[in-house]
Amino acid sequence: MSSNTSRRTFLKSAGVAISASLATALPVASSAKENANSLQVWSCGGLAEAMMPANSKFSAKNGSHIAYTGAFAGALGKSLLSGGAQTEVFAPRVLELAQKLKAQGKMLHYEPLCYTRYVLITPKGNPAGIESIADLKRDDVKPVLIPDASPPGGKASMIILKKAGVEETAVKNAVTQGDCVQTSVPDIVNGKGDVAVVEYRLTQLPKFKDKVDVIDIPEKYYPPAPVPFTIGLMKWAKDKDFAEEYIRFILSEEGQAFFTAAGFIAARSEQGERLTLKYGVNDV
Amino acid sequence: MFDFFRTTSVKRRITQLLSLAFLGEWSFYGIFRCPFAVPYIGCAQCPVIQCPGRSLWMWSWIIIGASALVFGRAFCGWVCPGGIVAEMLTMVTKARMNVRGIAAKVAASGKYIMLALSLYYFFVLNNPRWAVPIRTGEFFNSVWLTFEHANLLWLYKTIGILVIFFIGGSIIPRVWCRFLCPTGGLLDILNKVAFVKVTADESCTNCDSCRKTCSMDTRPAETNCINCGSCLSACPVEAVHYSKLPRKTEIASELRN
Repeated sequence: MSSNTSRRTFLKSAGVAISASLATALPVASSAKENANSLQVWSCGGLAEAMMPANSKFSAKNGSHIAYTGAFAGALGKSLLSGGAQTEVFAPRVLELAQKLKAQGKMLHYEPLCYTRYVLITPKGNPAGIESIADLKRDDVKPVLIPDASPPGGKASMIILKKAGVEETAVKNAVTQGDCVQTSVPDIVNGKGDVAVVEYRLTQLPKFKDKVDVIDIPEKYYPPAPVPFTIGLMKWAKDKDFAEEYIRFILSEEGQAFFTAAGFIAARSEQGERLTLKYGVNDV
Repeated sequence: MFDFFRTTSVKRRITQLLSLAFLGEWSFYGIFRCPFAVPYIGCAQCPVIQCPGRSLWMWSWIIIGASALVFGRAFCGWVCPGGIVAEMLTMVTKARMNVRGIAAKVAASGKYIMLALSLYYFFVLNNPRWAVPIRTGEFFNSVWLTFEHANLLWLYKTIGILVIFFIGGSIIPRVWCRFLCPTGGLLDILNKVAFVKVTADESCTNCDSCRKTCSMDTRPAETNCINCGSCLSACPVEAVHYSKLPRKTEIASELRN
């Protein structure tokens, strides 16, 4: 090395810089372990926009630390069901997952958390003049399909099209068929496509908010499985009272407001209570 | 104007360390948590909320592109966090294995093949997702989950890159940067027409002192020259220097080579 700085100095400095980078990547990993007032919470990734501010609010109230992971619930569930993974509170999508975890004794109990709903989105101004899902039968409508997106995005939207009797025409006229909801929505925002079926929560993400028009889809077309979200106490919770306190906060009016703001139907709302009965989200 | 570069080493190291602190976290995410086939690009729509690339990627590529037109492949020698780690690895392991002649030329084409593959996956295949995105979570926990639920292509890609970078780089200096990095391949192309770059003038005696001091095992303005300036002080006849815009004939000659 031809250098005015010594090799040793360079290696030391670079080591410090790499450590600094790592430290920014894992800002709370070590403190979480040391802090007795900490809780590990996992949830379906779709809930992240609601869970993160709710966690911050909870932490601000009592000085606790919530070590939060939000990712595809199917993957997290698989790790919890058959892998060696552990968490203290888990908020999965799909009621079946909570039921399986409870049957294995890994989840002690669960409660309804919130519900998702599906909508049609169009470019601002709705240039194709779409009024309902039945319009996807029109040959002049160019749908954006996302059949290969991870569940529930892809499969659920295709089931909705099928139940509405427009799947065949929609597939025939599709301008794009993507594998990721978040990378496909811009095709609607920029007018490449006329319409897509997505979860309403996506329209509330900062990057898409107010950039598309929204049209309701009748509930009768929804597939049942991915609609309810639950939150449950896991057997690995070190301080069960504290974990229960966290769950109570999330289900309180204050906590549920974050879910409404993120585009979900809060379980503790009139609409939510109706859906709890409809989908049978009761831990018995 | 080019006196600045006479004391390149200290300035380069400071620049590298600053960029490592600024871009290092994004580098980690790109390798260990990016769910897409081609990382570091098109990050705006990525579901991994925590990745700093979501806000950094566009300006970073604009700056890299602009800097490439002016300073050629200097990004690799002055800014790239992977570059600094590769240099450190070479220093620690004292990797010395030479790849010269036809083998070097064939191997160097690897980065253009990787560039073509990356462009194909990004533009033609719409950058498919090969892993489950861990939208938010503590870093090591999320890395573990990413590996646990990634498909085979993602695992082959990630483990392959890590093995080549670290194990290969412990034997052959900067093997990834020289032979396989697609960004390096792109910048290598632009380096040929850059305004400012390290060159050797006619007083060069071909003693190869420049190559011996070069972490990329090359000579000024040749393939894999990253304009780091390490060879400026190594030349016994002071034939190496930073030059401004090359003449048209020089550009034509570079492109022919």
